Amino acid sequence: KYVSPGTGLQYCCCSTSICFKVIASQQFTSTYSTGHIGYALVPMIARGAMLGPDQPVIINMLDIEPAAEALKGVKMELTDAAFPLLRGVVATTNVIEACKNVDIAVMLGGFPRKEGTERKDVISKNVLIYKAQASALEQHAAPNCKVLVVANPANTNALILKEFAPSIPEENITCLTRLDHNRALGQISEMLGVQVNDVKNVIIWGNHSSSQFPDVNHATVDTGNGLKHVRELVANDHWLSTEFITTMQQRGAAIIKARKQSSALSAASSACDHIRDWVIGTPKGTWVSMGVYSDGSYGIQPGLIYSFPLTCEKGEWSIVQGLKIDEFSRAKMDATAKELIEEKSLAYSCLN
Amino acid sequence: MAKEPVRVLVTGAAGQIGYALVPMIARGVMLGPDQPVILHMLDIPPAAEALNGVKMELVDAAFPLLKGVVATTDVVEACTGVNIAVMVGGFPRKEGMERKDVMTKNVSIYKSQASALEKHAAANCKVVVVANPANTNALILKEYAPSIPEKNITCLTRLDHNRALGQISERLNVQVCDVKNVIIWGNHSSTQYPDVTHATVKTPAGEKPAPELVADDAWLKGEFISTVQQRGAAIIKARKLSSALSAASSACDHIRDWVLGTPEGTWVSMGVYSDGSYNVPAGLIYSFPVTCCNGQWTIVQGIGSANNWILIAMWANFFACYEQSLTSRPFHVPGLSIDEFSRKKLDLTAEELSEEKALAYSCLS
Repeated sequence: KYVSPGTGLQYCCCSTSICFKVIASQQFTSTYSTGHIGYALVPMIARGAMLGPDQPVIINMLDIEPAAEALKGVKMELTDAAFPLLRGVVATTNVIEACKNVDIAVMLGGFPRKEGTERKDVISKNVLIYKAQASALEQHAAPNCKVLVVANPANTNALILKEFAPSIPEENITCLTRLDHNRALGQISEMLGVQVNDVKNVIIWGNHSSSQFPDVNHATVDTGNGLKHVRELVANDHWLSTEFITTMQQRGAAIIKARKQSSALSAASSACDHIRDWVIGTPKGTWVSMGVYSDGSYGIQPGLIYSFPLTCEKGEWSIVQGLKIDEFSRAKMDATAKELIEEKSLAYSCLN
Repeated sequence: MAKEPVRVLVTGAAGQIGYALVPMIARGVMLGPDQPVILHMLDIPPAAEALNGVKMELVDAAFPLLKGVVATTDVVEACTGVNIAVMVGGFPRKEGMERKDVMTKNVSIYKSQASALEKHAAANCKVVVVANPANTNALILKEYAPSIPEKNITCLTRLDHNRALGQISERLNVQVCDVKNVIIWGNHSSTQYPDVTHATVKTPAGEKPAPELVADDAWLKGEFISTVQQRGAAIIKARKLSSALSAASSACDHIRDWVLGTPEGTWVSMGVYSDGSYNVPAGLIYSFPVTCCNGQWTIVQGIGSANNWILIAMWANFFACYEQSLTSRPFHVPGLSIDEFSRKKLDLTAEELSEEKALAYSCLS
């Protein structure tokens, strides 16, 4: 056991593992392989970016059989880097071994969308994957395991996982919209010529898809002379309701166009931010965006995995309540909810 | 009061190692969690769009410590004002290429980059060369940037050092953070000599010499050495790509320990400009055991086989650091003997470096 000198909290090294799933299927070319996110993510975890600089970790890496050799190579590199916080690495193609005793699960693996694939086909392949993994997690993960689904369609994959792992508390199953949240912070900071860490409280509502609604109505900038509203400082409502939103929606595609590969570095970093703020807590006065199981807040149909503004404390998230929603926002929030409801029925129809 | 940002240059930034390295730098792994940074990323024109994609991702990640990103194909713009330079860019060895060809291509690259760095980098810029042949590229860079202090030009052998720690930790089934003071001597190539003679392992009963715990001289002099020497190839075989994650992480360790100092009682391996220590020819970039203090490295002197000499060596280094901080003069303790097996290994890798140096110079004539 390791006792943190600062807080006196005990961290039990042995039981602190991270189950992190990488599907780097050889069939679907390394171009869109989620193996890239995994490769970017594991050194971040091993350095403490996810759980803090004093928290030892054990990383469980799962992949499919065709990627077993490459996965072994990643394990070798993790050994070679001599990370002080890394207390063990499990590299396996066995889902049970991967899920055993994990406290945190980052689900990167899924069936990527290829050119010409219909949305229905992507969903049908992914629901089967997430149904199977739900089962393994539920049976073998540590109680109170926290789950983050990254693989697209993230919200619906998370919903399927929740449905088929009923003994995992529903509040423990989330999906990543922190990447979109961070992208919004980045866009605002570039527009205003300010440092990104002076911008906060953007909101990503809804689905991690092109129907997402990046909302800056409540966002602020620390100007050195106090907090100012982003909308006031930008002073360009038209930009905020058009170009800003489309830039955000198409950012993933813009990265692919430039790099010839999808975002890995920023996705991995945002996954670390998502977990870190969830586990360690959000700074005072700051909220973040996470896809969580909706409870009817803001008139959103319960029973969807929907991205909301949240604060986190003591390992639990709470939806920021009482924010004023204008007409424009209302329409956007409802549109993305509608898409999620459609995805949900599509997913269920695939399972029958 | 927030610190002033430090400018860090990464060449070859659109490549694999660069892509692993830049988020580490942006997170504070290289210079500490309170040190803001501005990243300068350089690559060649064919990679300009990919480089821009990396810049976009760095913006998208909203790193609190990252105060700016310069992504450019212009070496002057890249080098301007940089305090740290990590030279990852180089001409990779392709199948069928002769060693001479790799050397020729790389010496021209490093000659021109030397020029740009010398003219445009900040004073006291610290340089680590990663691209292979790392030692010789660093030597060329030194030769063509004469106004950069020679002790500021280094090459990466920390990856090999960390690999050696990893191998010992696996062999003994201990945590890697409990193993220290391996040494990588010489060239970052297959002639490197990973030396465990003075390495120690933290046990519940205190620090113990690693060779004693391993209790297998044949393994230490045979398989262990070849595993570390050939690890790069093993990674390529498994991943179909060369090491990026571990190389990037080790580059961060190299710079961090150099700038922030090595922990007490611990040394690290760095390829540095040889001063004749341990009878290694002067004027090569050769990997030695070093301690770091006040932003300067000092070769660990007086390494012998008895523990009390190591204590003396540690004190000598402490004084060297103290003395250096007062007078900026190096303070040498005369070296003690290295055993016969090690001597041969040290000389072999020095010989290869001398040959590479001659080859490099012939390419430039």
